[in-house]
Amino acid sequence: MPDLTVEQFQSLSQVIYQKLGLHFDDKKIYFLKTRVAKRMAALGLLDPKEYLFMVRYADPDGVEMQALANLVTTNETYMFREYDQLQAFANHCLPEVLSAKQARGEKTLRIWSAGCSSGEEPYTLAMIVQEVFPQAQSWDCGITATDIDENMLRKAAAARYGCRSVNEVPEEYRAKYLIEDGDEYVVRRRTASLVQTLHLNLHDRMAMRAMRGYDFIFCRNVLIYFDDLSRKAVVDHFYNALNRGGYVFLGHSESIGRVTTAFKLKRFEDHLVYGKD
Amino acid sequence: MSLKEYAEKLNSADEADRIYAAEDIGYWNTPEGVPVLLDRLGKEPSRAVRDAIFQALIRIDAGAAIEGSIGLLGSEDPQIRNQAVDVLRRKGARSIPALTAVMRDGDQDMRKLVLDILSGIQASGAGEIYAAALSGKDANVAITAVENLGRIRAGEFRSRIEDLLQAGSHPMLIGACLEALVGIGHESSLGAIRRCFPDLAALPDFLLASYLKATAALGSAREFAEVASLLAVRGPHLRPAILSALIALGSRCPQPDPAGNLLPALRALVDDGDSPLCRYQAVRVLGFWAARDDVYGFLVSCLSSTERLVRLGAVETLRAAEPAGLETVLAARALEESDEEVLQALSC
Repeated sequence: MPDLTVEQFQSLSQVIYQKLGLHFDDKKIYFLKTRVAKRMAALGLLDPKEYLFMVRYADPDGVEMQALANLVTTNETYMFREYDQLQAFANHCLPEVLSAKQARGEKTLRIWSAGCSSGEEPYTLAMIVQEVFPQAQSWDCGITATDIDENMLRKAAAARYGCRSVNEVPEEYRAKYLIEDGDEYVVRRRTASLVQTLHLNLHDRMAMRAMRGYDFIFCRNVLIYFDDLSRKAVVDHFYNALNRGGYVFLGHSESIGRVTTAFKLKRFEDHLVYGKD
Repeated sequence: MSLKEYAEKLNSADEADRIYAAEDIGYWNTPEGVPVLLDRLGKEPSRAVRDAIFQALIRIDAGAAIEGSIGLLGSEDPQIRNQAVDVLRRKGARSIPALTAVMRDGDQDMRKLVLDILSGIQASGAGEIYAAALSGKDANVAITAVENLGRIRAGEFRSRIEDLLQAGSHPMLIGACLEALVGIGHESSLGAIRRCFPDLAALPDFLLASYLKATAALGSAREFAEVASLLAVRGPHLRPAILSALIALGSRCPQPDPAGNLLPALRALVDDGDSPLCRYQAVRVLGFWAARDDVYGFLVSCLSSTERLVRLGAVETLRAAEPAGLETVLAARALEESDEEVLQALSC
């Protein structure tokens, strides 16, 4: 079977970036090559040229791109994942939104973790909010954790995690916000109470219209599994769900700019975030 | 709700209401919705609502959505033009008749936009558009057409593209023709390319990269030595293209001739800290002579390189060569390895 050439690798990386927003630099050639070989074997294709052609022109519904996405992305979720991005949230975006609200005399803060899986992200956000903004308890603060998978939501509601999930939690946070229980960790009630789980299909446009009034939306590494049209529709709903002055956070490698021009791109240190003016 | 009610909501003062109204009209999916959307688009200040209107036009199946989007191609606003291109691209083959008319009657900007729309489509029935683009006088239109035809591997246009290559009227067009012939992938094209460029040494760098792609895709062992000789005389920026061509050509013959200083040159490339990708490629080329003791020894030493891509390339190359006792060597190396991906490759 011919090998994926460097040009084909670069061409495929480009297609993956256009369709999924995932960036593979040259150092990932071996990684991508082995994943493509698996897909080619599954499809009975013998030449990478055929595979490349297929994902470019013979995959109108994005079925193959989704199969490839499943191989090139990790479903692994853990607390404080993509730490740098969370720092931009904690150090810049959250203080900015809170001070604007204080200036207006408002005392509500709403965060939506869309596609929260087993809940590591919303609890991470709850810890950050309590750390950055100790007055959170006296405000009307809420983090809505939504997912399409009821089983995942049950896990999220249990707020109980294994070592792998909490591995990246900074030591001082771990002591403050988690309780060790055998070989598991439980999120302390005071922190867990900020999070409410809700079953929601991001494709359900009527249910999505009910999601309004959020200051932050986190939807990281979820939209890469959607086709272009659905992705745009979801991002349009995010726009409506977000308050003016709010921010949306997608996965590190996902770019909202490829999906919509409605948000304003802002830079905080090395981080680019998308806000609604 | 009726269309009249949607239209009222589309003119609401509330931005969210307007977005929802546009979305609903899209799902309502009737031709009558198109003029309502286009009318709002003309006066809509919010980018978010404009985005939603274009999404609605994509959802509406009727030809009116295509005709309406064609009308937007002439807009002064580049965002509207780009969004209209996107809508028409998503309509696929259904937009071809309307695009054919634009190609026939439109000015050169519109003709270029038609080709841009087709660049994302593997649409049958676009032959008339491409034929017009290739025989027109506008080089930009012809270049875009050639690029598209290469991408969709339109074999029926091969000889026409070979003719354009021979005519050689514009350097960018020559490059596009080379790339397109690679995409189409017909063996006989290499002859046409060689007739056009009999002397590789005289070929400028920007054309050489495309030429090498053509040789890699269509050439045979005969070209191996000629391509290998370029390593010594062309700049480092061409090394990835040269090495890619060598990997492709070498895989089509049992053991190519490592003439001249090729082997030391390749080893130097692996060692000298060139880009990781280039070093990886050099390891792969060396694999053609993995049966030789000196090369085998070098490849084994690459397993301990500080560059992980060199280590990965060495594992891959040694596995392909299947020398006796390899598993023992790899297992020993695995004990020293800490990179997860290399470990996976070692233990495959």
